[in-house]
Amino acid sequence: MARITAGVGSSHVPLLGVAVDQGKTQDAYFAPIFGGYEWTRRWEAEQKPDVILLVYNDHASAFDANIIPTFAIGTGERFKPADEGWGPRPVPDVIGHPDLAWHIAQSLILDDFDMTIINEMDVDHGLTVPLSMMFGTPAQWPARVIPLAINVVTYPVPSGNRCWLLGEAIGRAVASFPEDLNVQIWGTGGMSHQLQGSRAGLINAEWDNRFMDSLIGDSDAVRRIPHIEYLRETGSEGIEMVMWLIMRGALGARTRLLHRHYHVPCSNTAIGHLVLQPD
Amino acid sequence: MSDPADIHAYLAELEDIPGTRVYTATRARQGYHLNQFAMSLMKPENRAAWKADEASYLDHWAMSTEQKQAVLARDYNRLLDLGGNIYFLAKVFSTDGLSFLQAVSTMSGMSVEDYQAMMNAGGRSPVGLRSIREPR
Repeated sequence: MARITAGVGSSHVPLLGVAVDQGKTQDAYFAPIFGGYEWTRRWEAEQKPDVILLVYNDHASAFDANIIPTFAIGTGERFKPADEGWGPRPVPDVIGHPDLAWHIAQSLILDDFDMTIINEMDVDHGLTVPLSMMFGTPAQWPARVIPLAINVVTYPVPSGNRCWLLGEAIGRAVASFPEDLNVQIWGTGGMSHQLQGSRAGLINAEWDNRFMDSLIGDSDAVRRIPHIEYLRETGSEGIEMVMWLIMRGALGARTRLLHRHYHVPCSNTAIGHLVLQPD
Repeated sequence: MSDPADIHAYLAELEDIPGTRVYTATRARQGYHLNQFAMSLMKPENRAAWKADEASYLDHWAMSTEQKQAVLARDYNRLLDLGGNIYFLAKVFSTDGLSFLQAVSTMSGMSVEDYQAMMNAGGRSPVGLRSIREPR
């Protein structure tokens, strides 16, 4: 049977992709950020996951203002890096896992989650930057990837509780897939950042760290944080952290911490990174 | 649970954050054509046409005169007021060769250098910036 063996949380700042693509990861500005991922790169090389369920948000790349899916799953064979205005990132195509993706899509719909199914789409920095952080610069990504794109841009975005429940349903769907697969789920985005207006540059390290604390162990208080708290405390784009709750929900009642990293700043953003195991 | 029972109270709260335009349905409707214009700059051929003649490129889009003027002036705060969303507007400043940090700093009223220094020192504190009604 397929099983979810671990969860990873990570910011997905586009500047990190630039640093990787231009060979700047050891520069003074970037070294403290990438240093916090070294443990994870070694661990991933040992773990050799077959499939990553990668929860991210599209930043006006695959989806324009016309169609706004709240929860979308990529069922295609492969996904190309998006051209976000400066040309596509020079990273490998992302290879999907259509069998597992369709199994999850069907299971979720029967479990009351009305998924949008995407056969063809390009994937932007939200998806490819975490792959670079966890896997470095291989010729091919070492795992299949199923993109799970969440609307965290146009309000109302899904509630934290709904995200947690989706994660639980994903866990059930994976557990009923007959093939023996080592599956990880990654929740990406955040942490505190605001990319607009006179409050731009807001960072709240205390809140971010409390949020990370609350994903470890058996508490589920974090699912009840309302949108307005993310907005007030972590900036207008800090709301991306609801995507970490999909990862957390999929790990079951209790988690164990394997690795943790936090750094300010990267561009406009606080970098957070967690590796968790179901416990 | 986290779900607001009252959509009106939920939306009113979103307007209570200083210096912040939450991208609500009202803004998404107002900014639809502006954001679709920005989205078009993801294609290299469109970027070339835009760079060749910005004003005539804008004439192909059903945008308001105010929106067109704000785009030409690269007035990002004004564009947010007129329904623009940062991830769509990013296509405009990326086409100009600006980073997120450079473009975002222009909205904060700070120089790029001062803004970068603030970020390197830990960013902007939320203290006093959480609510318009009740500064805290």
